Amino acid sequence: MGLRKAGMLALVAVFALAACQRAYHGPAPAGTAATDDGTVLTMWTRSLTGAFSRALIDQYNRSHRNKVKLTVMPGDSYQQRVGAAAGTRQLPDLLAVDVVYAPNYAAQGVFADITARVATLPFREDLAPSHMRAVRHAGRTYGVPHDIDLAALFYNKDLFIRAGLDGDRPPASLRELREFATKVNGLGGGVHGFNFGGACPDCMFATAWPMIWASGSKVLNEDGTAAMLNSADATRVFQFYRGMYADGLVPRSAKNESGPSWTQAFSEGLIGIQPMGATALRNIEEASRLQVGVAAIPGLEGGASSFIGGDVLGIGSNSRHADQAWDFIAWTLSEQAQVDVVAKNRYVPVRSDLDNNVHAQQDPRLVTFTAIARKGQTPYAVAFGKTFNDPNGPWIEAVADAVFGPGDVGAALDRHNGSITASLEEG
Amino acid sequence: MKARITTCAALAVLFLTPMLWALWASVHGRTGTGQLGLDNYRRLLVYGSGLPVYMRNTAFVALVTVAVTVVATTLGGYAIARFSFRGRNLLFMATLTILMVPHSTILIPLYIMLDWLGLQNSLVGLALVLAMFQLPFGLFMMRNSFEALPVELDEAALIDGCGPAGVLRHVLLRGVVPGIVTVALFSFLASWNEFVAPLIFITDDEKFTLPVALFNLQSGSLGAVDHGTLLSGVVTAAVPCVLLFLLLQRYYVRGFVKGALKG
Amino acid sequence: MRRTGGLLYAMPMALLVAVLFVGPLGLMAWMSLNHWPLLGDSAPNGVANYEALREPLFTRAIVFSIKYTLVATVLVGLMAFGLALLVQRPGPAVTVFRTVFFLPAAVGLASASLLFYGMFNHDASPLNAFAALFGSDGVDWLGDGDNALYSTAVMITWKFAGYYMVIIMAGLQSINPLLYEAATIEGATRWQMMRRITLPLLRPTMTLVLVLLVTSSLLAFDQFFILTGGRHGTATVVIGIYREAFTSQDLGRAAAISVGILAVLYAVNGAQVRFLRSAR
Repeated sequence: MGLRKAGMLALVAVFALAACQRAYHGPAPAGTAATDDGTVLTMWTRSLTGAFSRALIDQYNRSHRNKVKLTVMPGDSYQQRVGAAAGTRQLPDLLAVDVVYAPNYAAQGVFADITARVATLPFREDLAPSHMRAVRHAGRTYGVPHDIDLAALFYNKDLFIRAGLDGDRPPASLRELREFATKVNGLGGGVHGFNFGGACPDCMFATAWPMIWASGSKVLNEDGTAAMLNSADATRVFQFYRGMYADGLVPRSAKNESGPSWTQAFSEGLIGIQPMGATALRNIEEASRLQVGVAAIPGLEGGASSFIGGDVLGIGSNSRHADQAWDFIAWTLSEQAQVDVVAKNRYVPVRSDLDNNVHAQQDPRLVTFTAIARKGQTPYAVAFGKTFNDPNGPWIEAVADAVFGPGDVGAALDRHNGSITASLEEG
Repeated sequence: MKARITTCAALAVLFLTPMLWALWASVHGRTGTGQLGLDNYRRLLVYGSGLPVYMRNTAFVALVTVAVTVVATTLGGYAIARFSFRGRNLLFMATLTILMVPHSTILIPLYIMLDWLGLQNSLVGLALVLAMFQLPFGLFMMRNSFEALPVELDEAALIDGCGPAGVLRHVLLRGVVPGIVTVALFSFLASWNEFVAPLIFITDDEKFTLPVALFNLQSGSLGAVDHGTLLSGVVTAAVPCVLLFLLLQRYYVRGFVKGALKG
Repeated sequence: MRRTGGLLYAMPMALLVAVLFVGPLGLMAWMSLNHWPLLGDSAPNGVANYEALREPLFTRAIVFSIKYTLVATVLVGLMAFGLALLVQRPGPAVTVFRTVFFLPAAVGLASASLLFYGMFNHDASPLNAFAALFGSDGVDWLGDGDNALYSTAVMITWKFAGYYMVIIMAGLQSINPLLYEAATIEGATRWQMMRRITLPLLRPTMTLVLVLLVTSSLLAFDQFFILTGGRHGTATVVIGIYREAFTSQDLGRAAAISVGILAVLYAVNGAQVRFLRSAR
């Protein structure tokens, strides 16, 4: 091949490639109809939410002609799966995603615009506000709350009493928490005062951030583009974690616990106090006969807060069954579904106008959860998932360094706050 | 000599242990109760979209990959060994270059390419990509196989009135069968076991291949991983490969000697 | 050499190569020069994507990949060489041993990783029984970065030693046996024969083994994705590509990393080939 010919070929190739730009056309906003005509709808949810979604779907499929077909995906790789499907318009009709990913998906066009549909709901003002904020982008609405999970302080009443503490008085500050944990730790026999999942990104932000919030500081700025993890309060919270681990009040395994079994030791009755997601209560009580108390998560010197997590539900932007999908979504928010399925199964309803339903009073801890749910926060950031949830992301790096690293906590947080902010800015 | 045999035997035990243990654990209960049974396999059967669905997908991808690889490299090997045409060397070099561009680096543009071709989330698209990765080895193997046959065979057949297609079909094909078996075997094992490509290209649970479905089984569980079911899946995925390998071992080794080393 | 019809036979292959290899390769280079989000419009942005190669998380992945490559290459290479020496001379028992050592190569890498995931985590794992011999109870095989690195390297050795053993055996068998006879007559020791005959004549084979091992280890994905998910600082460069593409939803940066890796691989493998050719 002559040099000139090769040059020509290269030139042609470049021109051909220059034509290879991708132009993206978002879906047009559709009507507001809800149709039940026997369509089979596909739905994805992550493993943590699987049982919840399943309960709603079973009830819907029994009473409707549409049939929802659920696929439960591993939580760890959920972001990548949704991303890969979105890139080739292979999203399901119904997509439930972790509320912290919602701002990103709303901004990227993963969800169809359902502003007009949501406006038809008479109770739209009562939908969980932080979930609703997460699904709004540029004045449009892309989803509704699906379920609410919240971080709360769990404590083992039996261990409290055995350690000479009051079984009905949870710690009201981190200082007190440490004091109580030390007493429980003294029981010995494999019992530890406290526990956390040190290599599990979401376990760590869902439990440590409420401590920072309850102490009166912020973690992220308003629009989620900068981290404020180098504040004095955040530093003291991480010093608290570091101290608990260094002083043996926490099992050694906490350092490498990446999530799958982070509630196990507590279920086995070996942990005094541990902040966890409210949904863990069901699993713990199914697996054991523990007497479990719950409370909001305290700050350094008092105060209380919670991390409001859970999922939002929207229509995949490439769905051709938007009206049928909306039929399901609207039904999940109905009083029938929220009371007879959600509350009856001891989940927190996503509508605050249903707080006083018949099932809510069955367990005092549910009342506590509901009260906490209305007070806690959900962080908002478009780049949340890749910054904080990703097991290879910058947040868990910061945790590893600040809690287990060799250096000074403040210096570590200072350093990592920069890389976390950089990741948030990338969007 | 005796020391050598003893060393070999000890190493053989080490090499066999993982597979035998997996087999053992797959037919025992969850918590090592020592009870023998097929419970793990029963749970595997109904996991997700169901084992039969995943098996069918995996087999489909493997068979299409093998068919495409064999047809493309047999014809291609014939062309390169017996014909001279414009672009012959370019094609040969371009195909061998695939070897130098590892798999995982080119999957992202392939993901876009398949989308443009309308082959997103498609088992056929996946099989075509996997076949492409097998081309360099297959072409090399088949070209060598054709070159090992004397040209006089072709000439005699041509004089007898065969066209080039007749020469291939009636005269040469029989001679290159061992080469074809080797190419088919390599391409089957590679596509049956492929993990990254289906992970990226396939989004629909009902289209997952076995390795991806097993990964979901492992990473999607809450609390504790169901190791028994996972291991029964590993055994299920490995058995066809191990059997095929034992059956066709000499073709596999031949691939190394003829393919890899002369390259 | 016939002159007509060849192109026709080559067509299926040419089509596959053009559409699924040359095209995507060009597309990769082009994508690396564009802002190319997973969703939405793409637009040229120069070399900005190549910044991804300097990001701290990614440089850590590079360091880890290099560390893993060193460990895995040495372990697998030595084991394969040892096995090849053990079974190179034919015999009835030897044939069985060869098959046994080679068998793991037939199991897929993902399956092997899941199998070892079971071994590393199962209560009834033989590994724990083995560790108990040394008075240790409940080793967390994948629990921290170093444990995970060495555990994975052991798994890879099991999976690939037999594979490379066959390549090395083929190399050993291509050495003329008369050379050894002559050496024996001259009273050479085994060690001398190894150093003066086997190793020098095996150089092309070892080059091939080394190139294959280094490439596959630098690009490790399946094993770490399955065993650790990249936790405890075990994210490799390919996990980095996957993360950039589908977690950060930036295909342009993922393509830029791919281009960077290709360039590095050419340099590394070229250097290995030259080094092994010149080292006398």
